[in-house]
Amino acid sequence: MKRIPCTGCSLLCDDIIVRSDGLFIDEVIGACLKGKERFDQLSSSNRILSPMIKKNGVLEKCSWEDALEKTSEIIKSSSKPLLYGFSNVSCEAQLKGIELAKVVDGFIDSNSSICQGKVLNIAKNTGITLTTITEIINKADLIVLWGANAAESIPRLLNKILFSRGKFRMTGREIRTLIIIDPVKVASFNVMGVRDIALQIQPNKDLELIRVLKEECCVADSISSEGVAGLDRDDLKRLILNLSEAENGVIFIGQGVLRPQSESNLVGELLELVQMINTKQEKGRISLIMMGGHFNMAGFDHVALSTCGKNGGLQFDKHQLIDTDDNIVSKIDNEDFGCSIIVGTDPISHLPLSLSQKLATKPIIVVDNKKSATTSIADIVLPSAITGIEVPGTAYRLDQVPIELKTILNPPSNIPSDEELLTKIIDKINKS
Amino acid sequence: MELYKFLPKTNCKKCGKPTCMAFALDLLQGKVKIDDCPPLLEPKYKKQYDTLKELLGAEEGQKKELKIDVDDDLCDGCGICVTVCPVNARYCPPTLSGKAPDYPPEKHQLFQVKGGKCELLNLEYCRRLEAQGRERECRVCETYCPRKAIKIDYV
Amino acid sequence: MEMILNTMRMVDHDQAREHSLGDEKSLEEHLPIGILNPKDFKKLNLTRSLHLTVSNKNGQIIVGIKEDEGVPQGTILMPVSIWANQLTSFEKNEIIYKNITVNVEASRDPITSFNQIINSIKSN
Repeated sequence: MKRIPCTGCSLLCDDIIVRSDGLFIDEVIGACLKGKERFDQLSSSNRILSPMIKKNGVLEKCSWEDALEKTSEIIKSSSKPLLYGFSNVSCEAQLKGIELAKVVDGFIDSNSSICQGKVLNIAKNTGITLTTITEIINKADLIVLWGANAAESIPRLLNKILFSRGKFRMTGREIRTLIIIDPVKVASFNVMGVRDIALQIQPNKDLELIRVLKEECCVADSISSEGVAGLDRDDLKRLILNLSEAENGVIFIGQGVLRPQSESNLVGELLELVQMINTKQEKGRISLIMMGGHFNMAGFDHVALSTCGKNGGLQFDKHQLIDTDDNIVSKIDNEDFGCSIIVGTDPISHLPLSLSQKLATKPIIVVDNKKSATTSIADIVLPSAITGIEVPGTAYRLDQVPIELKTILNPPSNIPSDEELLTKIIDKINKS
Repeated sequence: MELYKFLPKTNCKKCGKPTCMAFALDLLQGKVKIDDCPPLLEPKYKKQYDTLKELLGAEEGQKKELKIDVDDDLCDGCGICVTVCPVNARYCPPTLSGKAPDYPPEKHQLFQVKGGKCELLNLEYCRRLEAQGRERECRVCETYCPRKAIKIDYV
Repeated sequence: MEMILNTMRMVDHDQAREHSLGDEKSLEEHLPIGILNPKDFKKLNLTRSLHLTVSNKNGQIIVGIKEDEGVPQGTILMPVSIWANQLTSFEKNEIIYKNITVNVEASRDPITSFNQIINSIKSN
């Protein structure tokens, strides 16, 4: 019996109890469905247990020597390798990934640049107030879910932020107000109480809402009587009242807010609104938390910042970091890469078709522990151990707090961790 | 106040309460029984007596048995029921991430999340059976389940 | 009929969950699905046995149907997957996952299979 952090999603719950006999996992207690599925990956039929090379259009099992030989051959023969993923691996492996990019003069990017990294980039100009989950549990009295369906994407989040009985919020649910702003009546709406505000906004009208709230923040009673974006005037007044009187409010922003808007940037406006409220506030403040999906999505930004002084995409040339505005999307779109190394993610499933097709034109090397849409078109598949269950490491939670991951089982004998595997590739390239 | 409608509404005070309204309130909280109202037993109130019996059947919990259904297909193991259940909360130790149930579970603990699904441990400590007065009307687990997987029922 | 497509992640549809369960079959069962308001369902003259053809300038897919009261009229929801990504596009280095204009029609054709999409990616 062991208490270990769960690596099912970016919440990294540290109160999961796992019972194991040293060979298999018997019971997982406390974890949600997503976490349990992560533990199930250990013995899943989808697990990759030996390296594979594509021969005549079909992936065939091969030895580690052959696989690594072929990998270094592909990387060496193609200029500008593209390294992508790194959201489901430990920070140590991310560090090795950056080292590999440096050795091979490649471009490295993580899933974060199409998700929460956008917020961090905008926050460089405007500033951002962040908070931690522990602080929310102990102090928060206002929770806003904006374009985020917490009940389904991070199942245990509502449990922790809304229902937990914290040090200064002894009654848990009763003392916290929940506000949901979403065009779709998602599952999170079901936990609404009497004092909570459900705002089912018209699709694509968030910007108007933010502008009205900003105006109301400066001049009281400026909301027109018919309301805005399909929302009632009274509801909007209650919203701004709640925001400006909260002692410790948190806004969770999801993909609904992070989506690109052609004429202006939604996140920037939202950050400005939060700042306006915070300047006006007398007794409390509003903070933001970005909802990432993969368990170490936040980690890559921190690793890149601490090693290279820059988050987002890193481009290396002659083993030196050079300045670039590129990210994964522009790199693939311009076909500015010779081969791709995908680590612990499934870009074919989450990139648009036109990008997937361009990605597939060049050789693909995948490092992952399970089969996915990407492994089915890969040229080389290298299996790795499951971080957080078989190998330890560090990962950043969605509130940017580092959590030490533990192990409960030993990995299969011939399967290295992501970190070891990337080190082997670097050694192989340096030797040949 | 459904119950009040079916009482004689004569305020005869034969039951020992000042008004029929007061009797209805006590009836709701389970302090008195329907048979404590003498006029109700008269034949002319027979219909109302039967309706009241039916209405109270659920609340009395004597003849019908409490059942909490957890739909395994819907449940995603978020653990809100575990946190929000007042019986669980009383015996839960504080952990790093708020109050959470320990393992092995306390004997009073009602819910536990195991293998990604909510599991009902022992029903006998549920407030609907144990508590007195208004606390008996507890329905928090059902109300706050985001995926509507919990149903409180009497069979 | 013209509608707005929003992609989203749900616990039942999550890629990780599907992949730990098994193979392409379980993916095909859970992911190619369009969630509609019951009123739109009626407007499109749909029945449960029919499928939906969702198309825009980026591509076309055939998916199964589900009804949900919570979805506003004129919106279709789809889980993030290779199916939904046939319709998504990108703009200024950012991927557009929400508010995509699509054309929705009833169809009798079978649901687009996993291999069909993978082959279309490979062959290009």
